[in-house]
Amino acid sequence: MTTLADLSVGASARVISVTGQAALEQRILEMGVLPGVQVKVVRQAPLGDPIEIRVMGYSLSLRRSEAACIEVEVQT
Amino acid sequence: MTHADRHTVALLGNPNTGKSSLFTALTGTRQKIANFPGVTVEAKLGTAKFENSEITIIDLPGTYSLSARSPDERVATEALLGRVPGTPRPDGVIIVLDASNLERNLYLATQVLEFGLPAVIALTMLDVAQSRGITIDVEMLGNQLNATVVPVNSPQGKGIDALKAALHRTLHHPGKALHVPFGDDFTKSVDDLHAAVCDLSVRLGFKPARPEALRLLVDGAGPFFDECEQVGGKAFADSLQTLRERAAAGRSLALLEAQARYGLIGGWVAKARTSDDDGKRTRTDRVDAVLTNKVWGTLIFMVLMLLVFQSIYAWAGPLMEGIEQGVGALGGLLLALVPDGMPILYSLLKDGVIGGVGGVLVFLPQILILFLFIAILEDLGYMSRAAFLMDRVMAPLGLNGRSFIPLLSSFACAIPGIMGTRVIEDRNTRLTTIFLAPFMSCSARLPVYTLFIAAFVPEHGVGPFNLQGLVLFAMYWVGVLFAIPTALVLKRGILKSKVSPFLMELPSYKMPRPRAVARVLVERGTAFIKRAGTIIFAVAIIVWALAYFPRDGAMIEKHDAAIAASEDEVAAAIATIARDGGFSPDDEALAAAIADIEELTATHEESVSAAEETIVNGAELEAALEERAAAFAAAMLELKRRHGAAFEPAQAIFTTRIEGDEAVTTLEKRRDGELLAGSFLGIAGHAIEPAVKPLGWDWRIGMAAIASFPAREVIIASLGTIFNLGGDEDEESESLRHVLVDAKDKEGNPLFTLATALSIMVFFALCAQCAATLAIIRRETNSWKWPIASFTYMTSLAYVAALLTYQTASALGA
Repeated sequence: MTTLADLSVGASARVISVTGQAALEQRILEMGVLPGVQVKVVRQAPLGDPIEIRVMGYSLSLRRSEAACIEVEVQT
Repeated sequence: MTHADRHTVALLGNPNTGKSSLFTALTGTRQKIANFPGVTVEAKLGTAKFENSEITIIDLPGTYSLSARSPDERVATEALLGRVPGTPRPDGVIIVLDASNLERNLYLATQVLEFGLPAVIALTMLDVAQSRGITIDVEMLGNQLNATVVPVNSPQGKGIDALKAALHRTLHHPGKALHVPFGDDFTKSVDDLHAAVCDLSVRLGFKPARPEALRLLVDGAGPFFDECEQVGGKAFADSLQTLRERAAAGRSLALLEAQARYGLIGGWVAKARTSDDDGKRTRTDRVDAVLTNKVWGTLIFMVLMLLVFQSIYAWAGPLMEGIEQGVGALGGLLLALVPDGMPILYSLLKDGVIGGVGGVLVFLPQILILFLFIAILEDLGYMSRAAFLMDRVMAPLGLNGRSFIPLLSSFACAIPGIMGTRVIEDRNTRLTTIFLAPFMSCSARLPVYTLFIAAFVPEHGVGPFNLQGLVLFAMYWVGVLFAIPTALVLKRGILKSKVSPFLMELPSYKMPRPRAVARVLVERGTAFIKRAGTIIFAVAIIVWALAYFPRDGAMIEKHDAAIAASEDEVAAAIATIARDGGFSPDDEALAAAIADIEELTATHEESVSAAEETIVNGAELEAALEERAAAFAAAMLELKRRHGAAFEPAQAIFTTRIEGDEAVTTLEKRRDGELLAGSFLGIAGHAIEPAVKPLGWDWRIGMAAIASFPAREVIIASLGTIFNLGGDEDEESESLRHVLVDAKDKEGNPLFTLATALSIMVFFALCAQCAATLAIIRRETNSWKWPIASFTYMTSLAYVAALLTYQTASALGA
């Protein structure tokens, strides 16, 4: 299973599912990261964590531990 | 004006949508902070005027969703339903939508529109959207949402009147609740749950709205659940569980909700928005490529932080001194108006009122400077980038990147640092950061360290370092050392974040608007003075009273008699000198000679201290002083020649007079010292002596520690007074240093040893002896619980650490 945390900077992907603790899952979904949505990893912070993704036309920062709750399918 | 022309409207929207500037554009400067009991976020109330009607606008905290895991998130729903005491019930809503970020902004809009209140949509950031090739059909969007959409540009004042007009029209028509197609099982479960919670109405004290039932169904937890469970018990929890299972049918309720809402939104946006956004790099992308770059981004961040720290730590200093001097000068004018014979009023004004006002105002420079930076950086969009850069550093503590700037600022002063925590969205992370801020070694601790290190720590070299410097360095780290486990315990225990701590939007960069920045400064400044200032002032008055009363009349009389006797003695000695020299005491020639000697001595002393201040080089200074001494001696000889027989007695009288004045001052200081010892504070010092004895302290240090409750640095003036040097001693004072070194305990042993000095410093590094910090914690958390917890925890910690320090250091022979 590939998650958003596995993607390298510049990679695009389609969200398959969101898992994780209920409150975290809900917040991720509310922010627009839900199955079927396109996401792109824009950059990572200088210390490697968190990462910045582009979703629904805006920039969202999340930790790798949070990104690991988002299963994706890499787009080429 | 008729009743129908007064309305209340709630203003809602995502963060970073220009909601606050819309609020200001609508209401002008007529704003006040609404009191939301029990939560740490705040809303503002303002009044918009349109033709003959007045509309009260409630600016609710920016949020992405109405789902509520904490009371802070729940308050938006409570306010929409008019359930917050003291805040009027809204008849309508204004929903702010960021045109450049329509989908995610519409998510909250779908939730708000379900309440069925008359709604108007304010569409902001159209310029940003246009620059990205996004065009929005405003009318079409309105048709989809079944609400009027008004494009606004608040900084330019565009669309504000149209928004008011639309609001005015809309408020006279009942709203219609939005129906989101959730599916039959889901919708039926919401209806059933709504009926179930309505049955609890009487015991809840309110009638729950249908959207609240929806939240209960999906969230399955949070403050509203707790309320229902409290009155409905296990039966309620069980039936909720059953309904949740039915609605979910094996899937995730949160996913069902998000898919239904975003599905609806997708349809709307497809009709109302055209975009030729080719994904090309925006200006924000290009700026971010530098500002979040591994090398440049880190470097720029560090330089910025250095600038912020330096400005609150050092540049605020002259402003603070200016304020203290200004307050002192105005106070002096006030004191001159106090008639003689009213010592209580004089002391109350001098040490209570004027000191208290100064104690409040002195924080303003640091607060305003920090918020100048925060407001500019926030408006620019940089605060989120700073958090992005620092998150990895703060995460191991259970905090997030947004905690960094408040904690860094707290090394200068915890007050602006704690006020700066409002950039932290997560409630529990914010509370933890507030709790940790006073652990950072602020500038008010420095005088305490300076005094005791200079007096008791030997100036040994330790390798390439100096022992004094090492001790100072250690003192700065003591707080951090204890803050780390405190953070870990808090964040794993009572302040565990219920929601993900770091899902954060990185908004587009914008040019900071000077007016918005100025507004933040005025707001923070007045909020500090009004809400915290009153508490700080009250504490200053209380501590003054404790140090002043009860005055022992017999003791004052005894001292005043001694002072009078000393004055008489000097007068008699002067008369004798004059007579022996063959002059009457009021002889004019004699008086002229005394006046000349006095003037010459004063001039000489001034020139010596001026030389000492300006000449740095030791040899040069010595030469300059010798030169001045020679000139002084020559001028004296000239006076001797000029005044002849009158010179010798005049010189003797001059010396006697000075000695006499010194004797009187010493007696007065001793009187003040004894009065303080006999005051309630002195009594308290004696009372706690058994408790502070194991720390190496006697009652005098205990008393000085209690007296420093308003502010740590007060301990120095208190020690000055109790050791009969008067209350004007500062940390650089040689005489205070000597007195401390020479002070003896009851058995005649030195009162202060290195171990005692270390124990006092450790205590002051960790204690919460700062009324202003506690007052601001009270204000920012909107509860007395946190300042009390902070004070109790830090004082206990300080006590134990000082105890261990003293016992270990004395065992090692220090």
